[in-house]
Amino acid sequence: MLKRTEFLSKNYGVEGGWLIEPYVKSGGYQSAKRALGMTREQVVAEAKAAHIRGRGGAGFDCGTKWSFMPPPGDKPHYLVVNADEGEPGTFKDRTIMEMNPHALIEGCIIGAYAIGAHAAYIYVRDELHLSKARLWGAIHEAREKGYLGERPFGQSWAMQVYVHTGAGAYICGEETALLNSLEGRRGEPRIKPPFPAQYGAFGMPTTVNNVETIAIMPTVFKVGGDAFSRESALHDLGDGGARLFGVSGHVKRPGVYEAAVGLTLRELIYDLGGGILDDRPLLGVIPGGSSCPIMLEEEIVNVEGDERFAPYNGKSVLDLPMGVDTYRRTGNMLGTCCAIVLNDSVDPVRAAQNLARFYRHESCGQCTPCREGCGWIERLFDKVVAGEATLEELNQVHQVASNIMGNTICAFGDGAATPMLAFVRKFRPQFEEYVRRGEAERNARRAALGSGDHGRSLASEAR
Amino acid sequence: MPSFKLDELEIPFEPGDTVIQAAHRVGVDIPHYCWHPGLSVAANCRMCLVEVAPPPGRPAMMLDVLRQDPTTGEYVPAKKPKLQPACQLKAAEGMDVRSQSSPHVAEARGAVQEMLLLNHPVDCPICDQAGECRLQDYWLEHQGTRKRMRDEVIHKPKAQVFGPTIVYDAERCIICTRCVRFCEEVAKDPVLDVRERGNLNEIVVSPGRQLDHGYTLMTEFVCPVGALTAVDFRFKARVWFLRSVRSVCQGCATGCNAFLDYDPRNQTLYRHRPRENLQVNQYWMCDHGMLDYRRAHEDRFVSAYVGEEEVTLEAGVNAAASALREVEPERLAVVLSAQHSNEDNFALLTLARDYLGTGQLFITNKPHGEADGILRHADKNPNTLGVEQLCGTTPPRPLQDLLAAIEAGQITHVLALSSVAPCEVEALQRLKRLVLITPFDGPLAGYADVLLPAATWAESTGTFVNFKGMAQESERAIRPEADARPAWKLIGALGRALGYAIDWQRLSDVRLAMATDPGAVVAPPPSARMAPVGAAE
Ligand SMILES: Cc1cc2nc3c(=O)[nH]c(=O)nc-3n(C[C@H](O)[C@H](O)[C@H](O)COP(=O)(O)O)c2cc1C
Ligand code: SF4
Ligand code: SF4
Ligand code: SF4
Ligand code: FES
Repeated sequence: MLKRTEFLSKNYGVEGGWLIEPYVKSGGYQSAKRALGMTREQVVAEAKAAHIRGRGGAGFDCGTKWSFMPPPGDKPHYLVVNADEGEPGTFKDRTIMEMNPHALIEGCIIGAYAIGAHAAYIYVRDELHLSKARLWGAIHEAREKGYLGERPFGQSWAMQVYVHTGAGAYICGEETALLNSLEGRRGEPRIKPPFPAQYGAFGMPTTVNNVETIAIMPTVFKVGGDAFSRESALHDLGDGGARLFGVSGHVKRPGVYEAAVGLTLRELIYDLGGGILDDRPLLGVIPGGSSCPIMLEEEIVNVEGDERFAPYNGKSVLDLPMGVDTYRRTGNMLGTCCAIVLNDSVDPVRAAQNLARFYRHESCGQCTPCREGCGWIERLFDKVVAGEATLEELNQVHQVASNIMGNTICAFGDGAATPMLAFVRKFRPQFEEYVRRGEAERNARRAALGSGDHGRSLASEAR
Repeated sequence: MPSFKLDELEIPFEPGDTVIQAAHRVGVDIPHYCWHPGLSVAANCRMCLVEVAPPPGRPAMMLDVLRQDPTTGEYVPAKKPKLQPACQLKAAEGMDVRSQSSPHVAEARGAVQEMLLLNHPVDCPICDQAGECRLQDYWLEHQGTRKRMRDEVIHKPKAQVFGPTIVYDAERCIICTRCVRFCEEVAKDPVLDVRERGNLNEIVVSPGRQLDHGYTLMTEFVCPVGALTAVDFRFKARVWFLRSVRSVCQGCATGCNAFLDYDPRNQTLYRHRPRENLQVNQYWMCDHGMLDYRRAHEDRFVSAYVGEEEVTLEAGVNAAASALREVEPERLAVVLSAQHSNEDNFALLTLARDYLGTGQLFITNKPHGEADGILRHADKNPNTLGVEQLCGTTPPRPLQDLLAAIEAGQITHVLALSSVAPCEVEALQRLKRLVLITPFDGPLAGYADVLLPAATWAESTGTFVNFKGMAQESERAIRPEADARPAWKLIGALGRALGYAIDWQRLSDVRLAMATDPGAVVAPPPSARMAPVGAAE
């Protein structure tokens, strides 16, 4: 169901919309003020009622995550905002940081208070220079107003926000790798447990949240948790509110659009994205960043034994509302809600090769299945594309990917294996075609060289 | 004690144990590369994956994978349970862990093994690790198939000199980070780290540094494959020709438990490496100790001397006897040695007290040196406490006192064990006779009138008492070279030449005599937690 909203994007495209004045004029920082007047438990409860599923890709309920933080003790707590946004096809967080940075700063005050932190670190990927500048600008403005500092809004909750520049590795978006990087260590995911809530930044209790997850909090406290949750068509599935949807690739109007949760892919592509580029047929959609399996229009929803899915059963997956659980239950993955649309001019084999290269290049290399498996898959695809692979080698792709799956330290491994499995399963004929063509070419070359023992006679001459 | 199930075994555990740790304690091995009982958990190799049955009534966490129908070639969506690394998984009461018995585990381990060898050079024929390499052992146990990737492997730097003792081969490295963690956690010098990313990563030394702390050889020892090799051992021997004995390091009073590896064919020592003892050295040894084995072949006396002249052992013993016969007991001093075993010192003490009748007892030792707060003790002698215990209520006096007594003309004859000294020893010049029993050259040797060649610790079994008072046995590795004999044996022969009824033919004879003396401790037989030659921890 398409329902456009403007909670985060009202000032998008407005000159100076990122400054504090227009933000405050439209009610900005009132939510933070309100939250600081509540108890910690009330703030967490309000967030829970909003059913904000983590916007970073994993879709974990934000209020629930906050409730895992230990009660304030002798150790400082930290809020860390994940602004690494490295998932291919995902570009929503930077729009917030560039065009609505105060929402993030205000959200930091709310989030930090909820988890008992006095400091929030925003870890921004290196390349996002404008984002960093706008965030620092917003921080300075908020400090000047006293919203950040010793006594925000006259409350005794000292609060500071810092921007930290990452070094631009995709893996530093994984929350524990991010924490290592923040501490100045090699950006490698940590083993869990202990989870960040017990042992996070600098060994202290920490919550890591995505930019959008935090930036939506002022809205939650303005509208009210439950009311905001009900904006969503998937409120009953515990997936509330509104969010940013990105669409890129072969659409006529690529970009970031804000809408209530419950939007379908078809609406995202055709209504918001303006339809497929050149009006060609759709090859497939990667719904939420490259780690999600590619979805085809002809795939049909079929979830048995759950009332809530009855309206969608029998329909194309493109008509299934985009939600964490709707996708999970149908074997798909929502990810970051930024869809990559591929029309039929795309060669799925080359697309898979391209992704495999990305994952080989970005694996931190810590654990064996991911380090070696990603490289192996890339090699296999390279050979397929070059026409050098045998059918036997094509048949190794799913074996390697299946042995990466679940066997690694962090979710990168699954994120690399899942799309590979989807590509070979859904486009097997195209892969086979490459293999067959390559074989035929090899045979033809051999035939052109004369009889099969030509090579042998050359070898014996050399001897 | 709580317990969990591992395949069909019941494994007891202590609270806080991981599954692999508890299993290791009772001698059950879950395959692993990166885990080491003395290091933090990295859980990066993924060789130790196990399947854990979900609690009753709860579904197992399943993952979507793909299989292929063998006949049609069609892909078939399938599920597999999420496996857990046993090195990271905390043991819990009643847990049902499947290691050998799970087909999913077998598949995962086979896959990990294949991936570890994917870009591996497999240069086993020229690799020092061959024969005690985890990759070789686990290939046999968990993979057993030929390599499917037939393309050129990724090439990386080979023969990188990390420092004076260690050479690194990045192609053989499996990035288990044991060496990195060892340097940081045990040696307290975080000089190694990983660089690059993905399958291009490799271990490097910090810029501007060398791998040159006091425990560099341990990095080679903890390396489960042939990526780190020791300059000292490189290309010297194939491990399957070596045999091992359980020795005690002679480097200092810590008394690290070790294996002494030797080639029985040429009676030569090749390596000294740690043997697990949680009370003494845990899993470690220092570089000094690991290289100290070389001393057994250096600066040796392997025949008897009278003055400058090399003589037969019999002639040497007789010359020693006549030298000692000419003196009254008051003018004779006997010097025990903190460098020698309880057995050797007991023999000398017995000869001195019971037969020669002298109460002039002294002890000599190597000078003290640095302690490092990790393993190395300032006392550089392996048996200081043992000698003190032997002497009971009348402890031996330091060598300096003897020198003073010589200067004062009170002592004219000395019978001494070992040639070490804690100080300058010119005063020995004034002696009429010095009879020295020693394996090695040293400060005292230059003053010896008669010298009898003793066996080194590597050539004889003996008891050493470390600074904590733990009596530990060090076993004989090789045969005594040429005329060298265990010191207790030479002392026995000397006693007989002097006409005393001393009949020690075998070590057990000495130990039988020691049994009647409460100060004379004999160590129980040593433990051997680790395989003698073969894969380390
Ligand atoms: C390989 C990898 C990359 C990730 N990159 C990002 C990222 O760029 N931004 C982000 O917000 N979350 C990213 N995540 C997810 C984070 O680990 C984490 O789940 C998220 O920041 C939690 O915030 P949320 O609960 O608010 O979504 C990544 C995860 C993985 C495994
Ligand atoms: S799964 Fe990949 S990215 Fe994650 S820790 Fe392992 S090697 Fe690194
Ligand atoms: S590390 Fe092991 S497998 Fe590799 S070359 Fe050496 S012995 Fe062979
Ligand atoms: S050098 Fe050896 S110990 Fe160090 S990471 Fe490589 S394989 Fe592991
Ligand atoms: S031993 Fe390496 S992952 Fe457990």
